[in-house]
Amino acid sequence: MNSVNTLAGQGSRAAGALRRFSRSTAAMLLVVVVAGYVALGIASSGAFFEGPSVRVFLQYLATPVLIGLAQMVALCVGQLNLAVGALGGFTACLMGVLMADHGVPAEVAVLVGLLTATAIGLATGVVIVATRINGFIVTLATMTILLGAQYRLTGTRTVDGYSRTLRDLGTSAPLNIPLVFVTALVAAALLAAFMYRTVAGRRLLAAGGNPLAARLSGISTDRQIVVAHTLSGLLVGVAAVTATASLPGVNRSVGGDWLLPSFAAPIIGGVALTGGSVAVFGTVLAAFVTRLIDAARAQFSLDPSWVNLLIGLVVLGTVAGGRLHQTRLEKSPQSPTALPQPGGAQ
Amino acid sequence: MSDTVLLECDDLVKVFPGVRALDGVGLRLTAGTVHALLGENGAGKSTLIKVLTGVHSPDGGRLTWCGRQVQLRSPLEATRTGIGVVHQERNLIPGFSVAENITLQHPPSQRGLIDRQAMTAPALACLAELGVDLDPHQPVRELSVAQQQLVEIAKALHTESRVLLLDEPTASLSPQEAEHLFEVIRRLAGRGACVVFVSHKLEEVFAVCDTVTVLRDGKSVLESAPLADHTHDDIVGLMVGRAHTATELRPRTVDRSAAPTLVLDAVSTAGGHRDIGLEVRPGEIVGLYGLVGAGRSELVKAVLGLDRITGGEVRVHGTPARITSPRQALHEFGIGYVTENRKEEGVFLEQPVVRNITVTVWKRLAKALGFVSARAERDLAQGLVDRLCIRVSGLQQNAGELSGGNQQKVSLAKWLAADTKLLVIDEPTVGVDVRTKRAFHELIWDLAADGLPILLISSDLAEMVTLADRIVVMTDHRVRGEVDNDRDYDRVSGRAIRLIHDRDTVRS
Repeated sequence: MNSVNTLAGQGSRAAGALRRFSRSTAAMLLVVVVAGYVALGIASSGAFFEGPSVRVFLQYLATPVLIGLAQMVALCVGQLNLAVGALGGFTACLMGVLMADHGVPAEVAVLVGLLTATAIGLATGVVIVATRINGFIVTLATMTILLGAQYRLTGTRTVDGYSRTLRDLGTSAPLNIPLVFVTALVAAALLAAFMYRTVAGRRLLAAGGNPLAARLSGISTDRQIVVAHTLSGLLVGVAAVTATASLPGVNRSVGGDWLLPSFAAPIIGGVALTGGSVAVFGTVLAAFVTRLIDAARAQFSLDPSWVNLLIGLVVLGTVAGGRLHQTRLEKSPQSPTALPQPGGAQ
Repeated sequence: MSDTVLLECDDLVKVFPGVRALDGVGLRLTAGTVHALLGENGAGKSTLIKVLTGVHSPDGGRLTWCGRQVQLRSPLEATRTGIGVVHQERNLIPGFSVAENITLQHPPSQRGLIDRQAMTAPALACLAELGVDLDPHQPVRELSVAQQQLVEIAKALHTESRVLLLDEPTASLSPQEAEHLFEVIRRLAGRGACVVFVSHKLEEVFAVCDTVTVLRDGKSVLESAPLADHTHDDIVGLMVGRAHTATELRPRTVDRSAAPTLVLDAVSTAGGHRDIGLEVRPGEIVGLYGLVGAGRSELVKAVLGLDRITGGEVRVHGTPARITSPRQALHEFGIGYVTENRKEEGVFLEQPVVRNITVTVWKRLAKALGFVSARAERDLAQGLVDRLCIRVSGLQQNAGELSGGNQQKVSLAKWLAADTKLLVIDEPTVGVDVRTKRAFHELIWDLAADGLPILLISSDLAEMVTLADRIVVMTDHRVRGEVDNDRDYDRVSGRAIRLIHDRDTVRS
């Protein structure tokens, strides 16, 4: 009897979860991604479904996914990270220069790159907490410093004489699934597990959702800010590794166009700018959407300026749509009253 | 059992720069009782709660827990000791489930991984103890305010709180929800906990509490006494510090033949109001009474252009008016709206008092190129601060630092500064202490006596009877009838309540 009850309970819970999912941003994005891909496939009379096209499509998807996740982690505690692109570019150049100019083995260079990016993220977090300066300003400063450092490392040249093995890994694609894309997916899966399943991840979300309540429950919000920036740095490091591995060479322009997509993916994916929410799946799907726009541009040989215009419009549209939805929820009388704005969540 | 003293304070002192917020407070909390903590705004209740929950450490006096002297250095330490608190603001993580919020302090986990199965059982146990039926897996953001509050109480149970402080728990609840909360409170006391109940509503206090402590000016003027030994008037007298007399206001007559300033003629709105008729004449206070959710504030907001009017006509000074924004309402028609929600809608908390008051009249004060003279601003603000007796340390003080009642006065002052022709006042005295309430009543009365038409929204029937000339009763977004107020509380309140409940007789 008891087990029957539990089963029924689980059933209704699953139904509830399904209902919630069907209304979520991720469900909407999933539809958009599938429909968009099919449309592109038809428009290209099937060429888009073939191995090489899929491979190219996914190859360039790794970076948007990873930088979107890096930004998402910062957003989830109510912070933001303007240095995503600069940190990624700097790390990529650092690894390239270490391998090409100093003969450092690829494994060591990758490890140094990941550690450096993580350490810079950690330092950013510590500075924010220690000085109480707004994260916007601190990461703006970090960004500028790192842009300078990147230029210092490479100057105007392109560093391309580095490890063959790393390059091969970066471009290899068993079953037409590029390894760099698999790396991004694994990072996303690990991050999702961390956010939904671990105590440390829940603390991050608690601190972002209602800092005061978290503090009263014995969670140090300062520590969570540091953890979030560190994790963000690590993810940028991974993005830099995939970029270094799959690009023909690294120079000072690497990372230069990462900032907008890093915000676009989580925002389109349904992450609140005020903190307290993550949407790993949504962010990955949103990166898909932006990549689809890019692929469509190539397919119809449109001017590249259309891509940024479209992504900008999608970001605005998503946020505006979310707002409208919120207002409608608040106005319908039978809906449970929305949370009063948590005062401490600015 | 019932005479176990859980928490005792002795001669507590807490000094802030310039104020002795607590100046010798004693309190004895006994297991199995519901203890009322009363006092006007600024009497030291909030400070006492903060000391008891480890937010502030006292500068003098002793705290003993079950006979042992303790020091509470942080909120966490207070929780571990067994003191739980439910603040006025909701302290939950909106995106987390009910169960996860309840177990937030010590989430069940294995090797750093959250064990969601293991959090369901304790959460359900806590909810069951409260007699609350909630799905533990539901995200908290989908719950109503009342349900969220119950989750917070369950959370306090989970940390094994034996003393539970509830700060103004009924402020945002409907009467039915409040009644349910009282059942929960009695149930907790029955289990041997002590519930400390902080409220401005004396009726509730008398309905639910056993013992009472009254604070005045940082001192406990009545210490842990049985409530049954005191009458309503005794308690009010203790809080105010002088005998409470029924409000006496100078006589005021309304010229019923004067042309109405505001007329609503068969108005319908997008929010669901149908066929609303209403008139407000110069010098008249018209009360809009109804239960929470009857659609009173929504009606006024629609008139001010914040929601769509779908039918009927709004006439201001006799001419039909299409108001599309509060800005237009103020500048073209001179309608001011003192909001119910002063913290979120009424005042700029981070701005000085002077700017809060003059915000409505910058246009008038502005000279060439939009320059606003600081002196003109100051003079105008000072005049109103004096007139309304707003207690401020200076005009440059931030509005956020004022007490609730004074914030409400600032909110009112800005509309007076604008020389409004019609004032809508929404729930003016919710969460305001007795003395400020009286000052407010006198103020509203005098404004009307000087000829200002006032539309007053209040859920406090006593307030209605004191102030209003006519009481328009609303339920379910419709006007159910009107009561002429002859200031006889029993007769008028009886008629108003009957209008709410006997809908059929009204229609016939």
